[in-house]
Amino acid sequence: MHDAPVINLGGFNLDLSAIIMLLVTCVITFALVKLSIRNLSVENPSRIQNFMEWVVEFVQNLIASTMDLKKGKAYISLGLTLILFIFVANLLGLPFNLITDLPANYTVFGQPIQATVGLEAGQHAHVLWWKSPTADISITAGLAIVVFILVNYLGLRLNRKHYLKHYVQPFWIFLPLNIVENLSKPIALAIRLFANIFAGEVLITVILKLGFFGIPFMAAWQGFSIFIGALQAFIFTILTMVYISQATTHEEAHD
Amino acid sequence: MHIYWENILITIISFILLYFLLQKYAFNKLFSIMEQRRELVMNQLAEAANSKKAASDYVEEQRKALEQARLEAQGIIETSRQTSSAQADMMLEQAKEESLRIKDEALRDIESEKNKAVAALRGEVGRVSVQIASKLLEKEIDEKSNEGLVDQYLKDVGSKS
Repeated sequence: MHDAPVINLGGFNLDLSAIIMLLVTCVITFALVKLSIRNLSVENPSRIQNFMEWVVEFVQNLIASTMDLKKGKAYISLGLTLILFIFVANLLGLPFNLITDLPANYTVFGQPIQATVGLEAGQHAHVLWWKSPTADISITAGLAIVVFILVNYLGLRLNRKHYLKHYVQPFWIFLPLNIVENLSKPIALAIRLFANIFAGEVLITVILKLGFFGIPFMAAWQGFSIFIGALQAFIFTILTMVYISQATTHEEAHD
Repeated sequence: MHIYWENILITIISFILLYFLLQKYAFNKLFSIMEQRRELVMNQLAEAANSKKAASDYVEEQRKALEQARLEAQGIIETSRQTSSAQADMMLEQAKEESLRIKDEALRDIESEKNKAVAALRGEVGRVSVQIASKLLEKEIDEKSNEGLVDQYLKDVGSKS
């Protein structure tokens, strides 16, 4: 098991790996989108513009499948950001992981990395620097909390009466059950994404130990991991949209 | 694997930051261009539909003109057929009349020839019967004085027969 490069700065435990990887993900996502809109053209779209338009239309269809697109138009940006961010994040850990063996009391920015504190001389801590940010449960939890807060905020803001009423339906005795249901959504989101990507990275580590015999397995698993990365990004986005749709629509409207 | 609340916080902040940055600097432009492209395609589709409609109208018009021309040709053929058949009828009629006339003429000729022959025969018969009578009676009868008698007699016989 690898440790995270955590330093204690002013009372905060800062996970340098998470910070670096989040930064890299954000920069790559932003650069990708920025690149695709560099030469926007109405008449003669470039290839990358076509690709980005395909992504936008994909997200539009995804939102349209969960709610009325007229209402869902406001969430296209959110869906796009989510799907691109998670997809990029999922892929970052695929080509390589960066692990260093650090001696005892190794310091960064003048602060010791927590995992190396208290090691005997000659012992090393395996510190994981480069990985998929989504292979860290804190980060998937962060994304899920964003979704959770947003869903509840939108439910209260746009659909207050029905949103509050659904907690005591069909009877008031279901109130705890409905609360648990509501809380389970972000937990499920976070754990599903984390577990899929983390398992992928663990398996990559295992295959690496096979040496040369592992090359065909590695090729297959890398391909499959790309598929899983896309799939998980898609699932996270569509579930977000489903939750928003559930919280903001009147159930009577469907009858 | 520890869960650090600082990580969660950093993730939330960075995600929201990314969302707003993308929204402000990228997506708005992209969406507006996509909207323009949609309109362009819509316009082109409408244009195509219009020109298709015009083309089909034109074809329809041409078809009607062709139909008209065909009808006219038919009319012309019909008229000429009628004219020619009337002409043929007239010629036939004329020929019939001509033949009838020729036949009548021929009949009249025959009749007059017959009458001539009858008259000639009658003269001959008179003469012969006088000779026979004079021979039979062995009586001399003046041919001239009796000719009127014989004529009278023969005329009576002819009208009775």
